[in-house]
Amino acid sequence: MTLMIPATEQTRARHPDEEGFVERDGVRVRWERYGDGEPTLLLLPAWSIIHSRQWKAQIPYLARHYRVLTFDPRGNGRSDRPPTAEAYDDEQYVADALAVLDATGTREAVLVGLSRGGRWTVELAASRPERVLGAVLIDPALPFMAPLPREQNNSFDDELDRSDGWAKFNRHYWMREYQDFLEFFASQAFSESHSTKQIEDMVGWGLETSPETLILTQLGAQPTSREEMEAILRRVRCPVLVVHGTDDRVRPHAAGVAVAELAGGVLVTIEGGGHCPQARHPVKVNLLIREFVESLGGMAR
Amino acid sequence: MRAREPDAEGYVDRGGVKLHYEVFGNGRPTVFLLPTWSIVHSRFWKAQVPYLSRHYRVLTCDGRGNGRSDRPTAAEAYTEQEFAADAVAVMDATGTRRAVLVALSCGALWSTLLAADHPHRVDGVVYLGPAVGLAPPHPERAVHSFLEPLDTDEGWAMYNQHYWLRDYRGFLEFFFSRCLTEPHSTKEQEDCVGWALEMAPETLIASELGLLLCGLESFERQCRRVRCPTLVIHGDEDAIRPHAQGAALAAATRGRLVTLAGTGHLPQARDPVKVNLLIREFVESLGGMAR
Repeated sequence: MTLMIPATEQTRARHPDEEGFVERDGVRVRWERYGDGEPTLLLLPAWSIIHSRQWKAQIPYLARHYRVLTFDPRGNGRSDRPPTAEAYDDEQYVADALAVLDATGTREAVLVGLSRGGRWTVELAASRPERVLGAVLIDPALPFMAPLPREQNNSFDDELDRSDGWAKFNRHYWMREYQDFLEFFASQAFSESHSTKQIEDMVGWGLETSPETLILTQLGAQPTSREEMEAILRRVRCPVLVVHGTDDRVRPHAAGVAVAELAGGVLVTIEGGGHCPQARHPVKVNLLIREFVESLGGMAR
Repeated sequence: MRAREPDAEGYVDRGGVKLHYEVFGNGRPTVFLLPTWSIVHSRFWKAQVPYLSRHYRVLTCDGRGNGRSDRPTAAEAYTEQEFAADAVAVMDATGTRRAVLVALSCGALWSTLLAADHPHRVDGVVYLGPAVGLAPPHPERAVHSFLEPLDTDEGWAMYNQHYWLRDYRGFLEFFFSRCLTEPHSTKEQEDCVGWALEMAPETLIASELGLLLCGLESFERQCRRVRCPTLVIHGDEDAIRPHAQGAALAAATRGRLVTLAGTGHLPQARDPVKVNLLIREFVESLGGMAR
């Protein structure tokens, strides 16, 4: 596959009304605000392989109704790229989300998290319930919820003697063939037909960071035990909506089923949907988010 | 599944050929999205119908040879006069006294004929990527014969009746890859190939021979007889019909030319928002005249 990567972002359907940086321990995180309706929606990052433009199909619609906050994850976009693994612990992303709420004077918000952003959403909802009105988890990536394709016969840390399929999910391979890994990963994240634009976007965003940085985001991850993860999920008290595609090749649908059950949430299944329905089923996802926010009623005003 | 279902539909019979039409919305004026070459049918307007029908009354019709219309077998059944007469029959059957016409590619032939011959029924014409002989074709399309057997299947040599009978899908995939040259056109290519497969290569050959019967030398005279406002929208990367053909048509009909940078032969599919807004702006510019 030959990809044409645009050197810079072309244009946006909706530009932010306000933007700024919040700094924690010397790491600057870039946030943006769109619209000023109620309540506030915080659209979290997913993983530092991409950045806040992942929400480009949500922002213009949701900002017509609500106040929408986004931020670039540390490690990509216009946020800093700290050089240590500790800086990419899951708790750091959660603390960034909280710092963005503080910096923008946001007392409480509905959180929307995709993939690993789903995990950060759950952790924030469990630890700071007074700040979280509701949680939308899109194809959430929480550890121990289901066996992962990338963990079958594979190692992230060891040199492998092959590089087919998910064997590309390997730190040594990333250093050698970063773009090829990005193209493979994007092909798995966008399993739907006619995803060439979304694949091109993802690879382009991936190239805005470096393999070195992306490796740190993997080393900094904090695997807990299944019991610990379940306990966190059970602590979530706010309404929860889980949206998960049946053809998610990164995080199996069964993971979403488990998360919805443990968090006491509602599960909406997207037939034939892949890992990034916000990009490939944007109208459906936007309407689901809207319906969820409206269902919170006066509580969220 | 469709974003917008028709409010009315029916068939009109003209000389034993049944034509299927659909009506959407009830605003004013009526915008008639005309058939183009029979290789595709009225669903090629799918990105226009939902938007335009929120403002206007929209008519579509499957061109003879495809969709839910009949498939006459003789080349003489596919001339510009037949398509023009079909359009008039659909307007009559739907009680449409006047309409703004929107035409894609060779739809330019019958819309021009309609505007020239029925000035009291046509409020204006929007042309998209018009296929008109007012300027030379792309050189690579002038090399091979359509009628004679060829000893090559490379590129535009596939535009050949013998090849169509041998490898119809192969031709369609090539042809629509040239129609849709923009990146990220896989869905539109799949749509078009699928619509073309609803007809047989024999029918497509008849329709192509019918178009070859069209009297292109008189087309310039037809253009001069067009009195209504016209708008020509042409992509500067159109690999089927050179931009110069659209520019010449705008000049010949004393209309406005809008050039879409980087766009190929099917702007209604790949730049639908832009095209819809241009159509709307054109219709609004007609003012009371088109009400």
